[in-house]
Amino acid sequence: MFEIRKRRTAVAAAAIGVTAALALTGCAGGGSEPAATYDPAEKVTLNFAFWGNDVRAGLYDQAFAAFNEEYPNITVNSSFLGFPEFWEKRQTEAAGGGLPDVMQFDYSYLRQYSENGLLLDLDPYLGSTIETDGIAENILGIGVVDGTTTGIATSTNAWGLYTNPKLLEQVGVAGYEGGGSWDDYADWMKQVTTAGGAQGISGGTDWTARIQNFEIQLRAEGKQLFSEDGEPGFDKARLAEFWEQGAEVRDPAYTIPQQRLEEIYPLSGFDAAQTASELTWDNFGAGYLGNLGDGYTELGLVAPPVTKEGAKDLYLKPSMLHTISSKTDHPEAAATLVNFLVNSPEVGAIFGTNRGLPASETQLEGADLGGLDAQIRDYEASIQDRLGDAPPVPIVGAGTLEEKFRQIGQELGFGTLTVDEAVDQFFNEMDVVLNQ
Amino acid sequence: MTITKEAASSQSTGTAAGSPAKGGGRTKNPATKPGRRRANRRENVAGYTFLLPWLIGFLGLTLGPMIYSLYLSFTKYNLFADPKFVGFDNYVRMFTQDPQFLQSVQITLVYVLVGTPVKLAAALGIAMLLNYRNRGTGFFRSSFYAPSLIGASVSVAIVWRAMFSTDGPVDSSLSLFGIDIGGWVGNVSLVIPMMILLAVWQFGAPMVIFLAGLKQIPRELYEAAEVDGAGPVRKFRSVTIPMLSSVIFFNLLLETINAFQVFASAYIISNGSGGPAGMTNFYTLYLYKRGFADGQMGYAAAMAWVLVIVVAIIAFILFRTSKSWVHYAGENK
Repeated sequence: MFEIRKRRTAVAAAAIGVTAALALTGCAGGGSEPAATYDPAEKVTLNFAFWGNDVRAGLYDQAFAAFNEEYPNITVNSSFLGFPEFWEKRQTEAAGGGLPDVMQFDYSYLRQYSENGLLLDLDPYLGSTIETDGIAENILGIGVVDGTTTGIATSTNAWGLYTNPKLLEQVGVAGYEGGGSWDDYADWMKQVTTAGGAQGISGGTDWTARIQNFEIQLRAEGKQLFSEDGEPGFDKARLAEFWEQGAEVRDPAYTIPQQRLEEIYPLSGFDAAQTASELTWDNFGAGYLGNLGDGYTELGLVAPPVTKEGAKDLYLKPSMLHTISSKTDHPEAAATLVNFLVNSPEVGAIFGTNRGLPASETQLEGADLGGLDAQIRDYEASIQDRLGDAPPVPIVGAGTLEEKFRQIGQELGFGTLTVDEAVDQFFNEMDVVLNQ
Repeated sequence: MTITKEAASSQSTGTAAGSPAKGGGRTKNPATKPGRRRANRRENVAGYTFLLPWLIGFLGLTLGPMIYSLYLSFTKYNLFADPKFVGFDNYVRMFTQDPQFLQSVQITLVYVLVGTPVKLAAALGIAMLLNYRNRGTGFFRSSFYAPSLIGASVSVAIVWRAMFSTDGPVDSSLSLFGIDIGGWVGNVSLVIPMMILLAVWQFGAPMVIFLAGLKQIPRELYEAAEVDGAGPVRKFRSVTIPMLSSVIFFNLLLETINAFQVFASAYIISNGSGGPAGMTNFYTLYLYKRGFADGQMGYAAAMAWVLVIVVAIIAFILFRTSKSWVHYAGENK
């Protein structure tokens, strides 16, 4: 009896021990010593996250190798995802307090993360750890939310119109010369589609599915998409008018049918060499060439159609920023990394315009821009007359609304929604997002 | 020697500790009561302690979050700021202000109501074919089960997408017969049938259960029916179906609940967009997008609870009606 009792006690003790061990290991993760200031002798590991693809990952690896030559004590662990997944992951990390130390960041989320205190205030590092000599004042201003700098723009991009000269030659239509009215552009697309229809080539894509095209039309009228306080710069009638423009353009005589787009998604018609033009951000060029494959070596890049002559409808936007988590244990080291990624000429040479046209002069000098990169630089110079002030940092939920706009555009393309229904849906969604 | 002795004695205490014997032991032999009780308590403590890891998991990772999500469903919560209580707003918005939600419910219902019966019929049909003793039955059973093993994987959804695109294998084969309907993936009216086909193709799990059920049916019943002059159809209707009804009920319940939760295939085939025109935006995919892409966690939680309630009601109805058509062996009715 005694012996048995002893055994039972032992069993119970063992069980408690095992459970306690499990519980302890569950709680013991994380929690390294915080280091307030940067010490070149200290070994530091930083987590870095970006969105992109294999090509960009390779470029970042080169950049980190260059970084380690200068700062051998800072190890950078990087991870990447596609754009939507990147943000889904960040959202949950933000809620759990585990954001990576340094992040590639998008303009449309900057306000939300800044206002919730998730991003490190960079002001103490500006001009010291993060050099600002090469960065223009208005570009530094891009990363300021409510008076605090939380992001540094790596590069800028502008809205542009890409064309595919090889496809155009194939169908025998001259390239679009840029500018002109929206009707001119529509007519040109129709011309291309008529000539290329037999080969499965369309002139372009229905532009009314992209909120940016709506935005530049609004800007031409002196309005903006959303004010700083989240007031829309348009009413139902104006949005309906915009989507009505698409009624003609959605016709397969003009643009690629929505069903084809659906099948090739996530590629666009332009990526898949099925459309000869696309309105988009100008740093997409390298990605297009990559997706088009070896048969394509050059692209045309011209200005989008003009809504109103002389209007400042276009603007330079940060194609991406770098931010630091407010919870990082190594703010000084993180700022050092951000400085390197933003200012280093070596990084400029590695990336070219992969992240957009470098925002920092020192980095731009390091970049040996040839071919498409030079074309993008020249394009941004050529639209100087049309460049106006950048809109305020996007409202919280801007990303959601942009995506909703795209989805509704698709449904209009399929004809499963009328313009009036589409307008109602978008305003409903706006109501929810803006009141969050 | 000691080992056997110990084993024997521990076995005896083991039975004593079992609840049915407990009360009897105590009254009959009050002298040993305190010792026994202490031993029992120890045993319980050890039992619960071993159970603790699971219990912590259940309370912390399942029950706790469920209760919390019920609370969240009455709030606005964007993951950043603290949840803000809004009463029934989320539920009201769902049914009055969100056409996408209604569309999502509609296509999910079509998927469940059409897909599940077709899938079960296919599973039963194949199970009956495989129930015949032929050469190579084992091979056929495995190969028919294979799609279910790999069916849930990402790669199959990708293959499916490629197969049903314009000029893909399906389009080309149909064209041979003069049916020129183009790709299914981007076609608003064909994409749901395509999703249902993908689900039906993964009939392996219910098939195996049907097969086991079929093997349980006594041969005598069929022989008796044959003597009475029953043909194959009559035998199927009057012997197979009634004898299999409990298995059918089980499969029906399980597959219905599973179908409501279709996510992975829709996510992959539409690249997470729920397209074309929202036609693959099934309930859980939409819920996920609302929660994680749009950051509307309160709304997503409310959607989750609506799903829980709907599935519970359907299960309840199935159980109630089952009394009239499900026959359990050994029951006298």
